[in-house]
Amino acid sequence: MTGETELNETPVEAAVADPGQREMPGGVVSESLEALDASREDIQISIRGLGKTYRTDDSETVAIEGFDLDVKKGELISIVGPSGCGKTTLLRMIAGLLEPTTGSIVIDGRVCEGPGPDRGMVFQDFALFPWRSVRRNIEFGLEIDGTPSADRAARSDELLSMVGLTDFADARVHELSGGMKQRVAIARALATNPDVLLMDEPFGALDAQTRNLMQENLVNILSQTDQTVIFITHSVDEAVYLSDRIVVLTKRPATIKSIFDIPWEWPRDRAAPEFTALRKEILEELREENVMN
Amino acid sequence: MTDIAVLDFKYDEHNRVQRWIRSGLIVVVSLLLFVLFWWLVAEWGYFETIPLPQDTFDALIALIQHGDPINHLTLWTEVSSSLKTFFKGTALALIVAIPLGLLLGYVKPLRELATPVIEVLRPIAPIAWAPIFIATRALGLTWGPALVVFMGMLFPILTSTIFGVQRIDPSWIDASKTLGASRWQIFYKIVLPASVPYVLNGLKTALGIGWMCIVAAEIYVTSLGGLGNFIYTMAQNFYWDYAFAGIIVVAVLGLLTTGVAEQLSKYVSKRMGME
Repeated sequence: MTGETELNETPVEAAVADPGQREMPGGVVSESLEALDASREDIQISIRGLGKTYRTDDSETVAIEGFDLDVKKGELISIVGPSGCGKTTLLRMIAGLLEPTTGSIVIDGRVCEGPGPDRGMVFQDFALFPWRSVRRNIEFGLEIDGTPSADRAARSDELLSMVGLTDFADARVHELSGGMKQRVAIARALATNPDVLLMDEPFGALDAQTRNLMQENLVNILSQTDQTVIFITHSVDEAVYLSDRIVVLTKRPATIKSIFDIPWEWPRDRAAPEFTALRKEILEELREENVMN
Repeated sequence: MTDIAVLDFKYDEHNRVQRWIRSGLIVVVSLLLFVLFWWLVAEWGYFETIPLPQDTFDALIALIQHGDPINHLTLWTEVSSSLKTFFKGTALALIVAIPLGLLLGYVKPLRELATPVIEVLRPIAPIAWAPIFIATRALGLTWGPALVVFMGMLFPILTSTIFGVQRIDPSWIDASKTLGASRWQIFYKIVLPASVPYVLNGLKTALGIGWMCIVAAEIYVTSLGGLGNFIYTMAQNFYWDYAFAGIIVVAVLGLLTTGVAEQLSKYVSKRMGME
């Protein structure tokens, strides 16, 4: 079963071009998926009936069950949920690093089978290669796809300046701070110009100040590219600051609890009343999940 | 014990020069104490097989200048013969152990298949192979001792390499997969470089063992000469001072080999950012 066939049932409506300019009131909950299918021309990732069960000799853990989601081209979608609810499992399945037990993930009309350079990934622990310089880390994906070395250098120059690390091109990874490491990782993931950027709690290992700075950095970087981003975080504040949409997951087995649309422009003001109100609302949703049972 | 002045002298822990002087002094004092002990045993111990330290030193000088009292071969002849054998064994061990270790580390079914064999062969003392290797003339007589060295060095390098491959951070593999790397690309761009510090660590251990093996193996093959054979011949002819001089040379060369390997291993790990 592909997402294509299922989606054909919904009529093609006028697509909403720029997710930042959608005419939706801030913080409105759109809990039905049908509403999202309206803009199917813009849909890049279509997830249907996704489930993952971990089996050991004597136990079975259902991490995710019956998960449906459509992600639009160019949108930044955050996924928040109670800790241990399977957010990372979800992202790893989209990355192709983990095989789903049930359901399907369709990316640009192709069923996802295994990892590929069309989906870049940024890991919480950076996953940089310590024996390579910053530049050679960024160029890794380009070496893999056989880009000639002159083109690689040009592309890495471009990315180094984009993430503000031009002066550190020849530095080793262990010489960098956590924030710098994560910028290298972002540049490395963007080097091959993937359609989708998957970010697994990328700023989780950073201190609060660096984290805020990195969020601003990310907004800047993404404003220069057209990637679709799926962003896993446990920080609601971060999600509200960055996202076009926020998906709140239930506790395990994870499925969608609610979806929030955020049509505000960047830079966003964390102190603005609507910002704090939305944050509070999402935190309330999460609290419900944690308190239940 | 705090009233022993040498060990207790005041120094600044954060001053590099003072730290070096202190550790240098400790080495000197330690060796002097050993020589003193040696001298006491030689002088009062009624062991005719143990020469006095000063006689041993004289024999060492004579060996360097004039050669041994039987064959008149100089120290350098014996050392170069031993080193030649040693490097043959080392080269062979590296050529076999590294590729095999990488392969077994990376391909799980092969590793599972090979592990029982490795575990059976590993505890065998390398010198146990000597009579067999030396009797096997297929490779020529000269390869006997080198093969014993090879057997001694094979397993430390092999197991360390396998361990290194398995210890590779899974997130590096994941990251390279999401960047489109094939299994073969992951192997030579991630597994190969990432296991280098482990290979060198194994080599460090292996060199120490190999050096022990060579001396033992040379006793079996008299025609090749070498330090082991030299020590044996001297002892057979009651030149205890020359035999001891040979033992000291073995000790110094062993220390140098492992010292160099240790520094190399440290330097490479540091350069690779993988301490």
